[in-house]
Amino acid sequence: MAEIEQNGAIVTLFSTASAVGKTLVGTNLAAELARGGYRVCLLDLDLQFGDVCNYLQLMPESTIADAQQAFAVEGDHARVEACLTPYERDGIIFYVLANPSLLEEAYNIKPDTVKRIVQQLQTMFNYIVIDTSSMFSVLNLSMLDISTVVVFLGIVDFLPTIKNMKSGIDTLKKLNYDRNKLRIVLNRSNARTRIPMDEVTGILGETFYHILPNDFQAANASIKSGVPLVLSQGGDGLGLALRELVRRSTNQHYEEEPADGNEKNSGGLFHRLFGKG
Amino acid sequence: MAYRVLLVERNRLMIEQLAQVIAQAGDNFQLVARYQAPSDALGQGVLFKPNLILLDIDGQNGVSLITEFCKVYPEASILCLSERWQADGVSQLVQAGAKGYLVKPFTAEELQAAVKAFAKSGMEVSSKVMTFFSPKGKSGKTSLIANLAMTLGRRTQEQVGVIDADLQFGDLAVFFSLKPQATIVEAAHDISFLSPVTLNNYFVPVSEYVHVLCGTAEPNLIDKVGIEELESIIRMARSLYRYILIDVPPGFNPTSIAASELSDMVYVVTMLNGGYELQHTRRALEIFKDWQDYEERVRTVFTRVTPCDMQEKQRLAQELGEPVAAIIPNAYQVVSEAADNGSMAMDLEPDSELARSINRLAEHIIGRHRIRWDQS
Repeated sequence: MAEIEQNGAIVTLFSTASAVGKTLVGTNLAAELARGGYRVCLLDLDLQFGDVCNYLQLMPESTIADAQQAFAVEGDHARVEACLTPYERDGIIFYVLANPSLLEEAYNIKPDTVKRIVQQLQTMFNYIVIDTSSMFSVLNLSMLDISTVVVFLGIVDFLPTIKNMKSGIDTLKKLNYDRNKLRIVLNRSNARTRIPMDEVTGILGETFYHILPNDFQAANASIKSGVPLVLSQGGDGLGLALRELVRRSTNQHYEEEPADGNEKNSGGLFHRLFGKG
Repeated sequence: MAYRVLLVERNRLMIEQLAQVIAQAGDNFQLVARYQAPSDALGQGVLFKPNLILLDIDGQNGVSLITEFCKVYPEASILCLSERWQADGVSQLVQAGAKGYLVKPFTAEELQAAVKAFAKSGMEVSSKVMTFFSPKGKSGKTSLIANLAMTLGRRTQEQVGVIDADLQFGDLAVFFSLKPQATIVEAAHDISFLSPVTLNNYFVPVSEYVHVLCGTAEPNLIDKVGIEELESIIRMARSLYRYILIDVPPGFNPTSIAASELSDMVYVVTMLNGGYELQHTRRALEIFKDWQDYEERVRTVFTRVTPCDMQEKQRLAQELGEPVAAIIPNAYQVVSEAADNGSMAMDLEPDSELARSINRLAEHIIGRHRIRWDQS
């Protein structure tokens, strides 16, 4: 074949506060991209306490620990695809590289090997979606470096979280990535909170690339059922907002709508745009 | 209080230097006598009625020296002098009767600080170190630590130290509204030159009883606090505080492991969010079961528990398959309000369910650790 190989895009979900919805956005991102016909692999790099397989109700037979072992034994002949677990629903399929089942294994995953794994995945998939833990670890930093797009997720609940969001954004800026590589997304925008939105953007010195509405019940039901919101029928406000995030992130049907934190019923806007579909 | 100081120091030059420092330490310090030989100090110093003895213990049997000085000077406080801080022997020195420890040569400020730190209670030898571990972030443990520390201080009127070892996103400074000059990074950097008295300066007092060693202001990309330094800080803090509460980064990492290893008690704290938190807690507990004394040393705490009652506690314990030591109710509004303005949730609503559950946990901590050596 004379064709030049194409390396897939890496979308990394990162945050500096925990429980901001990285995994939920990650599973939906993967599902929505798969729904769009792309070859997608979702990689759970919250190695110790990852929830990707929990959220998708997968029982992986192999994990990233097996992939690392394969690289240790076979070097570059190692085949990562043997360690992937498929997620399939209604004819839509994407793959998951699960976090290790044992904490001991998780503790001993080497960032260099993960990088080689991701690079091999890039030759097989259009998109590699990476879920991370909430810290600037060696592993996470190396993933941020090789990412095409970094989705930085935040929520606004109380001041320590906003402080961490700010220090996270400031630290990311110091890494000198191209400005459009970093996308700051606010989750649970209309959650019960004591802090007004303009104050938040004031503190952060940043506007949000995208805003996801709070829908705790829908999110929880999706987690319990193991079905990503974008794949469940009659998508609610959050499911549609997630789809929209994927569309924007991948430049499909790009709609330049300024993210507006004050919108009370984000479903309304999206229904107007996509209600017929 | 006016201190009549008896200085015992073998080295001729050092005794000169220290005598000058004492002379500059202020009106409340009077050097009444100085000797190079302990036997001179024991036989002759009584004529000058000292109430503070600075006693060089390097190269000698410190325990028997202190025992002798205690016999001859039962009314005086003894501070040991040494060129290096040695954590290992301290408890023996304190049991022999020493009140404190100073690394020489010291400054006038350090002498004043030492007297202040040790005069009331003496050095701690029976401190209780507690690490608050969480599998994932967002556990509510920082808020728990802050409220618990204040409660322990208020109820026992003893010294409480809080160490923020969450090196990337330590929030304790925010919870206490502190803008610290020195943090754990500086303390770790200087640790080889420090003794308990000087380490105390790196802690920011937030009340009469509670002192906080703050985390870094910015995420630490390269670990500036080594594990050995952290361990030294914890060991040294044992001489300063009766209770030490340590906040560590989530998950198993060198920091959380080292702090846990050095702790008398590890609290595994998890916030219930309707996800897979129980599974994560169980996985984490499995690792701690490697400890032979696991059952005495590890406690499980759940936060944001609704309803926060005995039945729910039992249900959680059953589902977890492990005992649950404490449950803390969902108190987002008051905790958030408190964190935003630097006050404690317990103080905003002292009669709340939250305050009651933290009080219960505090009682649990106080109750099980009553032995003290320095009661006089």
